[in-house]
Amino acid sequence: MGLVERVKRQVAVMGLVPKLKKYLPLFSKIIALISLISIAILPIDGQYRNTYISENALMPSQAYSYFRETEWNILRGYRTQVENMVDLPLTERNDIMETWLNDIGAKTDTHNNSTIYGIFHSPRGDGTEAIVLAIPWHNSEGQFNTGGAALGVSLARFFWRWPIWSKNIIVVFSEDTGASLRSWVEAYHTSLDLTGGSIEAAVILDYASESDFFDYVEIHYDGLNGELPNLDLVNIAVSITEHEGMKVSLHGLPREELEERSLWSRFKMLLRSIKDSSLAGIKKPHGNEAFSGWRIQALTLKACGEGGIDITTFGRIPEAMFRSINNLLEKFHQSFFYYLLLAPRNFVSISSYLPAAVGLSLAFACSSLGEFVNDNQDSIPFISSYTLEAIIVWFLSITFSFCFAITYLKYTFPVMLMFICILFSFIPLISRGLPLAETKITVAHRMKAFAFGYFSLVLTSLLMINFPLALTIGVLAFPMTLVKISNTLPTSSQALKNSMLLLVSNPYISICAFSNIFDSELTGLATLDRLIPAWNDMNCWTWFFSHLAGYHAGL
Amino acid sequence: MKYSRSLTGLCQYILLSLVFLKQLNAEASQFSEDESTYGGDTTFPYKENMHIKPLPRNHLMMSFSFNMTSESFVPGKSASNFDQYSHYYAFPKAIEPLLHHTSTRKLNLRFTRGFWNSKQWGRLPNDGFMSGSSGVELWAVIEAASKEDAYKQWKSLANSLSGLFCASINFIDSSKTTYPVHSFQPDEVTGGELPLFQDKNDLYLIRAALANEPVCTENLTPLVKLLPTKGKAGISSLLDGHKVFDSLWHNLAIDVNTRCDDTDGGKCHFEMEALVNMAIHVPNVLHRNENPIPRPLRGEELRCDESKTHDEYHCFPSSEESKAQYLFSKIFGKTIRGSKAMVLHVSNICVDVSDKWTALIKVNDGYFSTSDNCFDLNEESEYDLFLSTEDTNDILPVEDVPVYVSRSLTGSGQDYGGLRAVFNNPTSEPVKIIYFESLPWFMRIYLSTLTLDGKDIDNSNLPDIIKSTNYTPSIDRNRPTQLEFILTIPAYTSFSLSYQFDKALLHFSEYLPDANHGFEIESAVITVIHPVSYQFRTSTLLLSIATPDFSMPYNVIIITSTVMGLIFGMLFNMFVKRMMTLEEADKILVTRTLKYKLNVLRQKILSKFQKLTKKD
Repeated sequence: MGLVERVKRQVAVMGLVPKLKKYLPLFSKIIALISLISIAILPIDGQYRNTYISENALMPSQAYSYFRETEWNILRGYRTQVENMVDLPLTERNDIMETWLNDIGAKTDTHNNSTIYGIFHSPRGDGTEAIVLAIPWHNSEGQFNTGGAALGVSLARFFWRWPIWSKNIIVVFSEDTGASLRSWVEAYHTSLDLTGGSIEAAVILDYASESDFFDYVEIHYDGLNGELPNLDLVNIAVSITEHEGMKVSLHGLPREELEERSLWSRFKMLLRSIKDSSLAGIKKPHGNEAFSGWRIQALTLKACGEGGIDITTFGRIPEAMFRSINNLLEKFHQSFFYYLLLAPRNFVSISSYLPAAVGLSLAFACSSLGEFVNDNQDSIPFISSYTLEAIIVWFLSITFSFCFAITYLKYTFPVMLMFICILFSFIPLISRGLPLAETKITVAHRMKAFAFGYFSLVLTSLLMINFPLALTIGVLAFPMTLVKISNTLPTSSQALKNSMLLLVSNPYISICAFSNIFDSELTGLATLDRLIPAWNDMNCWTWFFSHLAGYHAGL
Repeated sequence: MKYSRSLTGLCQYILLSLVFLKQLNAEASQFSEDESTYGGDTTFPYKENMHIKPLPRNHLMMSFSFNMTSESFVPGKSASNFDQYSHYYAFPKAIEPLLHHTSTRKLNLRFTRGFWNSKQWGRLPNDGFMSGSSGVELWAVIEAASKEDAYKQWKSLANSLSGLFCASINFIDSSKTTYPVHSFQPDEVTGGELPLFQDKNDLYLIRAALANEPVCTENLTPLVKLLPTKGKAGISSLLDGHKVFDSLWHNLAIDVNTRCDDTDGGKCHFEMEALVNMAIHVPNVLHRNENPIPRPLRGEELRCDESKTHDEYHCFPSSEESKAQYLFSKIFGKTIRGSKAMVLHVSNICVDVSDKWTALIKVNDGYFSTSDNCFDLNEESEYDLFLSTEDTNDILPVEDVPVYVSRSLTGSGQDYGGLRAVFNNPTSEPVKIIYFESLPWFMRIYLSTLTLDGKDIDNSNLPDIIKSTNYTPSIDRNRPTQLEFILTIPAYTSFSLSYQFDKALLHFSEYLPDANHGFEIESAVITVIHPVSYQFRTSTLLLSIATPDFSMPYNVIIITSTVMGLIFGMLFNMFVKRMMTLEEADKILVTRTLKYKLNVLRQKILSKFQKLTKKD
């Protein structure tokens, strides 16, 4: 044991422990900074990798695609009929579609009188697996999906003629991209009578125009709760789209930026990836989100703009994707499930970006430790009434925030919530005149220690499964660690500073601000409204509040 | 032995000659007529016929059936009795010794793939008793002294059949084998009572299925080879693997029964029925045979709905063509070779069509019709069948299925899930069924979670609906769960029966190749016993179980070895090394040399010697 003994002696000789204690808050800041830098350098050459098809069986675009020529006539034939259906009520639209699908030879059924689906049984397969082609009648922007619906039915007709399918093909027509599609997916796995085996992959078509031509393809792949489709699925989609001569846009990148391949463009895409993934479910869903959580790889193909590429070319993407997926013997498992895309063909795998979130959680842990050891009350043992008091407050705050979250699910009051939050943030400023007892300060320190420690733990457990969310809330909440508690009466500037920091790190305020600044879709308090339909995420936010409550009591 | 072999060889030779050699025709018929005195009533014991039935929406069902009878034998004589000789006419030589050897009294083997659309096509051919679950299904009645003996015979039977049919039937082991109590019982529907050769023995019904075992040409070829015509003549000349397996649903079946006749001095014989059924979509098959690449149609070939917008750019496809006119040689790519050899039971084709259809037989270049649409193939010429109609939807009514059952897996996790079977009785009569299910041991079901759910139906109706339950719990790696319910489904009622199960963890080596595919769960078998006799199966299921990353163990081994290596080095140093001054170390070092040790030894010896001399 000589070695350990020696190190210990050396540490004692150099007096490292007090020094380390003193610099803990600084360490916290440095670690946070390092983690931010570590994520910012990812777009530099050498830090990211080129995508590749990991599963050899996929072979995208290796077979010639036949959705062309007279298939276009059929597509147009269907489309002229779909155009007449815009003003029809949903059930009538579904009825017409059902007769069409039946005519082609599908077994059809409806779910909840709102979603219609047809199953084409594979002639050669074992019928235990299925691929889904989903067509929402209205896309994420609420536009009528004319081209998509026509494509859906003509592709179904086209597929049925082929003997090659080893998996059943399910065509789904739902009213929208969100709740109705989601409820169908859920019913498929619980209560539907007509099923076609386990769904391996889903492709959602969005062609919300009556035009024959479009310009480029947007691919949306962010699932709920940080879930992403297997990278292989995104890869084949990108590879097929580019093979057919179309431009790929990820995360809604505008047309003029599509060809940019620079450090800056990759950096922007990185931020977009993180933003879209952390706000997935809160933003308007594209359809692929509906399949999250059932081990289904899903993505949305969206035709955008006006240009020289025809609609059958768009149809050849699902055609070739279906043929690729059809080749699979196993479920998607070869490629990455956790990744960030920097460009359609560049990605960063989890091992490269995870340290950033780990760093943030470490920074909170340092702050927590710092608060615990630096309260100038070295003599107070760990187990004391102060600690107990802090634990009770912490526990109460969690209970309160949980109850609050449940209440908020039932009664939405975003403006009120915002007002309360702002009010809370100004407590330090208002309570400036009230002197704090010596003992109260210790309790405040302990509370902060617990709050930060808890925060760090939550971040750590979240970062594996939902890295973008962990990173976003970690960064947004970091200003909280800078709040200072002083022994003397706080000066007005100090109090104002504390208030501001609290304001910035308040979860609701910061998330609203974040989405307002970075996302054109979410303005005002829209984010808070959307949290309710996406209550999956709500769970993630609730604990956030616990800090806040733990905090104010301390101040 | 030698004698018997040569005789069988001779018989085989004669049989072959009988079928193929034209010049021997006269003698062959002479020979078979001679044989008529041998077996009593039967003559050359082989029959074959083909049934063709159009189904709705341009589908066509074709059923080839072949019947063979073995020569009589005295039961109870040991198969290894060398004095006994046996000969074979039509009955395949591969099957009979196998049945004797394994004491099998009844053998049923099924190879089925595809999807039978019962909502549209009605009942399965032969009321479903000749179909199997997707993949391979085998059940047999074996005579044995004990269950253990029966299992040994069964295993031997499965292994032999595996070799015979080039299928993985040898993968049947005790973890897949079940002993049905209510289903599959030999009764008048499935072939009558079975004889017992030795009174002290019992009959054991044993069954196993390999879900989604691929079925292909290599299973069809051995089946065709069992026929005396060997696919060279008669209807079996149509059986081309490419065409049979390019169908929406196909089914190969073999049934062997033992029959004993008390009037004939207690002699017994085997009866075998081989069957090939298939359902195709005629326009798709014809189109594919003409144009194997699924190219889009040419503009002028498009059939558009005239009532909707249609021009050079628009074409709303009209419903399926209702006119049809085709030759069978266009479907199968070849004609039927007739044969005069089967003189006593002529090869026969029957077409079940309504009056709106024309069915003609084409012999050489002439077309002929018959009143009952049945045709005998009794010439040595090329036959072809011609079907035409103005309305393909005008067909003989399909028989409605008495009950629909579908089954699916519920839940999403890797640790537990649920199984849900939906029963739907669309008829006006209550239907009584036997529901048979065999589940692998790694699905640990909880019967306590059995839930009935439906309109106006809940768990309180359980006693009204489930009349009897037979449950054999699974034993890990040794026995599957076997579940048999006798259910009564009230008229016009639909309900679901569901229960939960846990997914067990498997050993590393228990995963099949392509582990991430999941595990195939064999279909449930539904036998309707009232109001009609009918049997069908649900579709198979795919169970996904937590699958390890198979490269992980190697990574783990490497990283553990590295960590062990590092830690060992450090610990070893800490335990073994001592801190000391250089002088001390030098001192120790000096004492360790050989020279020093020798010196010490010399000193010792010298000192002893000195002591001795001193004493002196």
